[in-house]
Amino acid sequence: MTRRPTVTRRQFVQGLATAMGGTAGSLLLTDSALAQQASDPRFLIVIGASGGGSIVDGPLAVRASECATPDVLNTFPDSVVTGWEGSPFRAADFSGNSIGAIPAGFTVEPSALLGSLRDDLMVATWTRSSVNHAIGQRRSITGNEAWRGRTLQELVAWQYGMDAPIPNVHLLAGTGYSEVGTDASIPPYARGQLVANPAIWPLSLDGRKGSAHPIAPEVLAAIRKNRASAFEPATHFEQVFRHAPRLVEWHDLRGTPQERIEGYDLVQKLMFLSHSDDFPLEDYGLGSSPAARQVQEVFSKLDIDPLEASAALAFLLLKYRVSVSVTLGPSFDFVFDDSIPYGEGDSGLPRNSVRNPPLAFDVSHQGHRSGQAVMWSRLYGVVDGLRRLLQTEDMGDGTSMWDHTLIYIASDFGREKHRPSGANDWGTGHHLNNGVAVFSPLVPGDTLRGGIDPDTLLTYGFDPQTGDPEPGRTMAEAEVFSGLLGALGIDTSGSGLPDVSAMRRS
Amino acid sequence: MRPEICAAAALLLVACKTDDKGPTSVADVSQKARVLPKTGKVWGRDLALGLALAEHELCRELDTLDCLSEAHRITLGGVEPARLGIDEPLEITPVSAPIAVDRVALSACSLRYERDLAGPAVVFGPVLEPSESGPTPSGRFAPDPSATARAEVSTQLVERLLARAPNADELAALESLYTDLEAISDDPSRDWCVGACMVVATSTEALFY
Repeated sequence: MTRRPTVTRRQFVQGLATAMGGTAGSLLLTDSALAQQASDPRFLIVIGASGGGSIVDGPLAVRASECATPDVLNTFPDSVVTGWEGSPFRAADFSGNSIGAIPAGFTVEPSALLGSLRDDLMVATWTRSSVNHAIGQRRSITGNEAWRGRTLQELVAWQYGMDAPIPNVHLLAGTGYSEVGTDASIPPYARGQLVANPAIWPLSLDGRKGSAHPIAPEVLAAIRKNRASAFEPATHFEQVFRHAPRLVEWHDLRGTPQERIEGYDLVQKLMFLSHSDDFPLEDYGLGSSPAARQVQEVFSKLDIDPLEASAALAFLLLKYRVSVSVTLGPSFDFVFDDSIPYGEGDSGLPRNSVRNPPLAFDVSHQGHRSGQAVMWSRLYGVVDGLRRLLQTEDMGDGTSMWDHTLIYIASDFGREKHRPSGANDWGTGHHLNNGVAVFSPLVPGDTLRGGIDPDTLLTYGFDPQTGDPEPGRTMAEAEVFSGLLGALGIDTSGSGLPDVSAMRRS
Repeated sequence: MRPEICAAAALLLVACKTDDKGPTSVADVSQKARVLPKTGKVWGRDLALGLALAEHELCRELDTLDCLSEAHRITLGGVEPARLGIDEPLEITPVSAPIAVDRVALSACSLRYERDLAGPAVVFGPVLEPSESGPTPSGRFAPDPSATARAEVSTQLVERLLARAPNADELAALESLYTDLEAISDDPSRDWCVGACMVVATSTEALFY
């Protein structure tokens, strides 16, 4: 019995280009895209600010002295706001004794990180189209279905991930940030692969290594070969259903993708945890990734904090060229660091012991100022760690991986701008108006595209080509989506997307 | 014989594939060709029943995580709505799913082999070295088990894991695995037992419905 011929990624793209007759006009469908990705790749990291990261609690904080009615708007006392000469960005350093209803003190000092991160930070304002969490999340990665429902991650994986074993990996389950796009013409390899548990996942990347029942690699290969070429073809089931899409997909996955994954030895390279009594790698012939110590030094809480674990795996996925797009972010789970001792004055949980409040940014419903502060600091820390790691990776041409990477802080939406008069912490609802934070050498650094009205805390837009602020204008999701694609060098010709070249570094 | 009867007989012969073991019918290709994957939980239950093992024994990663309910739960089509928010099986089959299936089957089949070796044998008895003291297993596999003995094991594997009788081509396929392993394995009897079990347990017929 003959199996349906396996189509390689290259053949798929070339065949699609032929079938479409070039009508789409996009270089994505031609060999030139392959050459581009091979010689000058870009890497995308999407960090989902689940729950709604408010830009005016992050880099666009507004001082009370700048606002006509500071007591009833989400402004900060001048004394806690740090700014930098010539920079549009701010950081609010302060302490609190609770995060909403959680009796846990916190101290945040985002200025320590933003002071250096801002050189690669661009904020672009936008006004969203939904204040529903799942819909807002999805629209943040599709530009409200701006290009046939393709996601940012799929487009990056399509253009740059042809030769990567698993180009598009999602480490953030159960959110719209990890949804699949709606364009069936996206090649299968560019579709997102969801990873439920970053620490355990590497164990599913090799058929025999780390098993309690060792078997020689050539024996396993013979078993697989027998199954595919002798036993299965003899079954009536296979004869009857061999054209079923599910079976075709399964057979394809068993072929080249499986060979590449096992050939890369990913079960070892991506293992960022070390041997321990709870994780006895060495008892099963496994060890840590050669880069494990490096990521453990940067993300020192990765054994207890799923966000740091995801960030560690994200770096390894990019470092070893397993992926070109990785999506991660804080979950809605409560993450508590029980290694922090009680200090004097701690009336509840130890100060800074709550790493992730329940509902992440959405804890703002109960404690906006405290929740946003803790979460923004958390994201800055992850961005800083990833940048430091990626800066150590030499691309071989005098540049580092960081020079080719874009970190997009995607948010569900913004948050309400008002507060009860003089309140130090309060609850907020969802708001359409917001902005995106993008950390990358690929975007204009230390730059705000658009602006903020200090009397309303509402952001306004910018000229898509020049970047000049335009009060009265708001930016649509499709425009920011297009701008991000442009910064990543994605070929959007034929897409009908607007030119938002102001979001690219010239 | 009338010519039309001769023609009909000839057509029947053409419609049947023959081999040394007799005719094996060739099934029609389904026009709808619609199959669905079993979830890891369902497949694991079938595997446990077929190999006479408890579900929790099938496979444990690093001896700390159950493969089917924990380590590879989402990869193998499971859901986890409470913490992960995954309330439906993944739309796209994860690229690691076939590998995870192989790991589970390797563990389960190896465990069955080890249990049979200690006795009483459930699946691999025909290739065990006969004990002089009766039905108690010898604790060893026959150094050169006969093809007939292997065919008995193959038949058991198909009956237990696929809930049907094997056809001649399937038996021949599993027998050919022994020939392949003889050239590369230090312990072809052991590797054939585990390997034949894996082949049947991870065949598309076992994984889809």
